[in-house]
Amino acid sequence: MSSRVCIVGVGQTHHRGPGGNLAYHEFAFEAARAALEDAGLTRGDLDTVLASGWDVLDGRTISDMHLVPAAGGYLKDSAKVADDGILAFAYAYMRIASGAFDTALVVGHGHAEGPTELVSNVALDPFFYRPLGVGVTSSLALQASAYAAHYGVSEDQAAGVVVKNRRHGANNPYAHLTSAVTRDEVLASKMIAWPLRDLDCRPQSVGAVAVILTSDDRARRIASRWATVEGIGWATESYYIGATELWRLGALTSAAQRAYRMAGISDPVAELDLAEVHDITSYHELMAYEALGWAEEGAAGRLLEEGATSMEGRLPVNPSGGALSTNLEAGTGLARVAEAALQVTGRADGRQVEARTALAHGMSALAGSIAQAHGVVILRRSE
Amino acid sequence: MPRRVAIVGVGLTRCSSWRRDVIYPELVYEATSPALQDAGITPNDVDAVVYGSMDPFDGVNAPEKWNVDACAAAGMLGKPYLKISTGGTTGGSAALAAYYHVASGLYDVVLAVASQRVGETLEAQLVLNTAVDPVYERGFGVGAITVAAIQACSHMHAYGTTEEDIALVSVRNHENALNNPYAHLRVKFSVQDALASAMLSWPLRLSDCCPSSDGACALVFASEERARKLARQPAWVRGAGQITDNYFTGDRPWYEDWDSLAMLARRVYRLAKIDDPMREIDVAELYNAFTIQEILEYEALGFCEKGKGAELVRQGVTAMDGQLPVCPSGGVLSTNPIGASGLIRVAEAALQVMGKADQRQVPDVKTALAHAWGATIGFHTLMILDREAP
Repeated sequence: MSSRVCIVGVGQTHHRGPGGNLAYHEFAFEAARAALEDAGLTRGDLDTVLASGWDVLDGRTISDMHLVPAAGGYLKDSAKVADDGILAFAYAYMRIASGAFDTALVVGHGHAEGPTELVSNVALDPFFYRPLGVGVTSSLALQASAYAAHYGVSEDQAAGVVVKNRRHGANNPYAHLTSAVTRDEVLASKMIAWPLRDLDCRPQSVGAVAVILTSDDRARRIASRWATVEGIGWATESYYIGATELWRLGALTSAAQRAYRMAGISDPVAELDLAEVHDITSYHELMAYEALGWAEEGAAGRLLEEGATSMEGRLPVNPSGGALSTNLEAGTGLARVAEAALQVTGRADGRQVEARTALAHGMSALAGSIAQAHGVVILRRSE
Repeated sequence: MPRRVAIVGVGLTRCSSWRRDVIYPELVYEATSPALQDAGITPNDVDAVVYGSMDPFDGVNAPEKWNVDACAAAGMLGKPYLKISTGGTTGGSAALAAYYHVASGLYDVVLAVASQRVGETLEAQLVLNTAVDPVYERGFGVGAITVAAIQACSHMHAYGTTEEDIALVSVRNHENALNNPYAHLRVKFSVQDALASAMLSWPLRLSDCCPSSDGACALVFASEERARKLARQPAWVRGAGQITDNYFTGDRPWYEDWDSLAMLARRVYRLAKIDDPMREIDVAELYNAFTIQEILEYEALGFCEKGKGAELVRQGVTAMDGQLPVCPSGGVLSTNPIGASGLIRVAEAALQVMGKADQRQVPDVKTALAHAWGATIGFHTLMILDREAP
């Protein structure tokens, strides 16, 4: 490996609900601008810009035509990872680790102009799955119900995730939803796709997030504190729902094992101080605890109930409020990385926890059949 | 400095306007299987996979998810799998992504795959029109062919390039395609035939435009240590890069010259230590979706001075038996599965360097250049391959 890779800048918009009069590349501009200011850099300091997202969801063919120049990439070397932003972060990591580039900006945005259920339905093959009407919510519900049935996880336990994350989100001035909810409110909310109720599911948010990565050498020259990427891994699994153990996030386990190995982490609960996971549903946060090796299979609910993953617990999860408070679709995983970087550099303000090592997780939510691809990033505070 | 990286395996599919004989994973497997075979490896040897496609041109969104098994990406371990979409440059960008996977030191053997089923698109130009701004430019019908027509008008006006010149580009490419069993259009015609074909967007006739194709392509990239073991003659990456121009078509004042490509060429030639491209490059696979663009590309890539591109065509310099043969494969003019076309350029350049291009082989190729453009001419990618490690 030529060089260690560091995060020296984070920028995000004040995320909100759909509507408003800004186009998605205008959000990208706002986030990129904030990240450059945060890093004390200008557009000219960037060597490469990586965008993320799905054209079909954006309603724009080649969305990076707009995103990249808006994010400082004019006349630069760019690419778009057509997936969650955490995978664009992985690509930026490789570009810098290769030594070919010094400084990269990664941008993720949420500005769904297409109906997410239809967009996810047409991502399925036209022969077997598409005619069944499967979309993102129904496939996530299949996983959630299989998980609940397999391990006896109750609706009450899942509601606990929502209560925790929405309470955390109230501390985050950038979050879309900043109101806490009670367990009763969650359990009384409308059933969307059994066992998922309205509040178990992510909202639809608009906004963008940008992260600036640079080499170890340059970080030392330009920054006083930064986050070092200690581990990174990403993985996929089978497409066919019938070939997958629905109660496990297998690809997340593969991605985490790679990242832990690279970071030299053998006991994640003891060694991690904080995690930002892609809680696309409340059940998926619990499934993530297990896939990430923090709890025995089926035991995630107990970890939650002990309060281990609350702000005050030994491994706080989603101090930002997570995707249940702000869902930027393809920007969601990158937002997890951004929040983890803010935490380890001690800049998370009202949502700050004491953290030296943090994990960020993102998933390919709207493409494929059932949360098919995942990415994991491990960050550590610079010494 | 990045680690040395080489291409050690190539797989191409047959292309046609609608490959209705295969479902999508089968089409992709038709490319990945021979690529692995060519490299002499099994799916287990692949450390990571990069997939390129332009989803809005397919009948299925995010097709890489469905095609995961055909790319050897799933399985017990769950491999790293990265999806790239950058318009017409998608295939070129996928090659770059695979290159950086290996150059970073994270992975040793990486499979790059790109595919497109334009046969599932009702009208590709309408899809491309949604790429441009809905307020200012979409209503003018901006897309690929309209922008290429502006390039043609400007070049003809500025430099005196003629309709006969661009017709000759078409004739040459289609002649070359006759030697390529993977090409979509394999028809022989004359300059007179070309000039008699239907006018689509003045001055571009049917013969000046690429077809829309179904097809896929796969390449195996490897680290130096693995490449030396896997291939008798690897195609070493000597230099590569991408450039991003501005977004509004109307904000680009020069259509007779392709300045963004010229800028990228200077950067990549510096990386590859190339001073005189005409002398040092033995064959070039250019993204000639429209005939006029091949002429602009000659100039931007420094094969000749500005305005002199048509002379290279007239003098036969870029013909199969010329000093610098361009598109022995028949180019994008003969075959265009959009998201795969850029990777096919890299594949064809690699085959030339490896000496495996069969009927379309140019004798004694040491250095080959592969180009792609995309995003209503806003993006370019370049990759220079060589017989010798850099």
